[in-house]
Amino acid sequence: MTNYLQLSNITKTYGHFTALDDVSLSVDKGEFVTFLGPSGSGKTTTLMIIAGFEKASGGTVEIGGQSISQLAPHERNIGIVFQNYALFPHKTAVENVYFPLQMRGVSRVQGLRQAEDMLSLVGLKGFGHRHPKELSGGQQQRVALARALVFEPSLLLLDEPLGALDKNLREQMQIEIKRIQRSLGVTTIFVTHDQSEAMSMSDRIVVFEKGAIEQAAPPLDIYHRPKTSFVAAFIGESNLIPATITSAAAKTAESPTLGAFDYASTDVLTDGQKVTLLIRPEHIKLSRNPIEDRKNVSMVVETIVNYGDNALVIGRAGDIPMRVRVLGADVVIIREGEECYINWTPDAVFVITR
Amino acid sequence: MNTFMRWAGFVVVLFIAAPLVIVVPMSFSNASSLQFPPPGYWLGYYRAYFTSVDWLIPTWNSILIATATTILTMALVVPATFALVRHKFRGKGFADLMMLMPMAVPHIVMAVGYYSYFGDLGLVHSHLGVILAHTCLSVPIAFLVLSANLKGFDRNLERAAQSLGASPAKTFLHVTLPILRPGLVISSLFAFIQSFDETVVAIFISGRDAETLPRKMFDSIRQEADPVIAVISTLLFFVVLIGIAAPYFASALRSRAPKPSRPAGAH
Repeated sequence: MTNYLQLSNITKTYGHFTALDDVSLSVDKGEFVTFLGPSGSGKTTTLMIIAGFEKASGGTVEIGGQSISQLAPHERNIGIVFQNYALFPHKTAVENVYFPLQMRGVSRVQGLRQAEDMLSLVGLKGFGHRHPKELSGGQQQRVALARALVFEPSLLLLDEPLGALDKNLREQMQIEIKRIQRSLGVTTIFVTHDQSEAMSMSDRIVVFEKGAIEQAAPPLDIYHRPKTSFVAAFIGESNLIPATITSAAAKTAESPTLGAFDYASTDVLTDGQKVTLLIRPEHIKLSRNPIEDRKNVSMVVETIVNYGDNALVIGRAGDIPMRVRVLGADVVIIREGEECYINWTPDAVFVITR
Repeated sequence: MNTFMRWAGFVVVLFIAAPLVIVVPMSFSNASSLQFPPPGYWLGYYRAYFTSVDWLIPTWNSILIATATTILTMALVVPATFALVRHKFRGKGFADLMMLMPMAVPHIVMAVGYYSYFGDLGLVHSHLGVILAHTCLSVPIAFLVLSANLKGFDRNLERAAQSLGASPAKTFLHVTLPILRPGLVISSLFAFIQSFDETVVAIFISGRDAETLPRKMFDSIRQEADPVIAVISTLLFFVVLIGIAAPYFASALRSRAPKPSRPAGAH
């Protein structure tokens, strides 16, 4: 079934401030969609409107073809995991998970058994009798997840659930959440401002900025074919070069500083159009001398950041700051303050029109 | 901590505890008036207290008034606190101020006010009058305790409950109320103690009919310095001591109960 969750023209205003401006989105059943954006971009507001804690100023939310805009939060059958987990401190882990079943009139004996089963699924077998404060952050996270899933919600919302965990645990939980989400096939919306989290977990990423959707696409599309300069700059590291299309037929452009460019994009462009050229740092090579059949630009190296297996070389080509990602072994050829060549093929150049 | 600080601390504790050191032995004294150190010891004044209607009626009055005051205070303070902590509305600052006013105004000023105002209404010398006056004095204390609790309350807990299928009423019953219970208990306790302890207003308006224990004690010490006062003070002290110690004992007993062993594995 397609268009399982449908947001249509959602608008939210607070007085004169527009928090959401005409947001529309369809999500397929079983899809894992990430809302990504800086704070204040509208991603959490959208989530709260889906959950029913915020009322949209305009637009509708539908699940499975039924409008839920008029339903109270407790009538929506949506599971939510909050950033701070929001476990009930006066209940044990298993009682927390039993709570949604209790609210649905499931008997205590059967409900607690179901809750125990759900705790096993999230890897917390035998922890049911503990109170939230007796559990680690990662364990609390799992309890919150079990509680949000045990009543078979029509939608699972995750509001920056990994923000409070340390790096190792966060990666572990990313894999864990994906595994559970797949095994249950629950349609999931995940809110984060962490782009690597979005990249590794999502079927589709929705990038928010200033209360509107900038782009909604699978992770690799977002990375390699960003629609706007904002998306290009927000996801991964990027070199953005302002340019003008000189010939759309010959696929050439001209940068005031870096000269003529070839590009490989298939988008329809017109001669004289102002564009931004995107080149990802890992698509650029560093060399002592110009290399044939590639676009060569001279760059002064300012800083080298070593990560061991790779290094980030930051420099300046004319007045344009450039970042080049090189393998750790290759970085020995260059020192800070020296001049070198950076070069790339037309394939590496992606044209952004907005 | 250096030696001087330790001694200074010891002296302060001694100074604070001194009234107890004096009052408790005096309650067992056989002197005919308050006298320290006591010339001899007996339990006669305990018998006097528990058999004398002159003392038991004010005790009963105090318990009755403090209980009613607590109920009325909480009935007013709980909704008021939710409104003032969680909602923004016109005149909120003024309402906040008025809630705390009875604490800022000296009791003697309040007492004079009640004396003349309640006199017109026919509430002087009545239980109801004292209950109303004490409620005014208890409201700010209960409000302060409860609002501090409510401000620290994570509203995501209520949102979580609602997303899990609990209606607003069930959310309040299953989540908000149990989590706020300690705050509710403590603010009720403060409201009760405030009323039980209050003397100035009681002297002005309780009269003969609604005479409270502190008022009776005050009258007694002015007229005859009856050692029964020491008995009451001692009893009150131990009641409070038990009240404070009980939760500790309860939790100590609970933690001694055998716990299931911790399972290994899983994160």
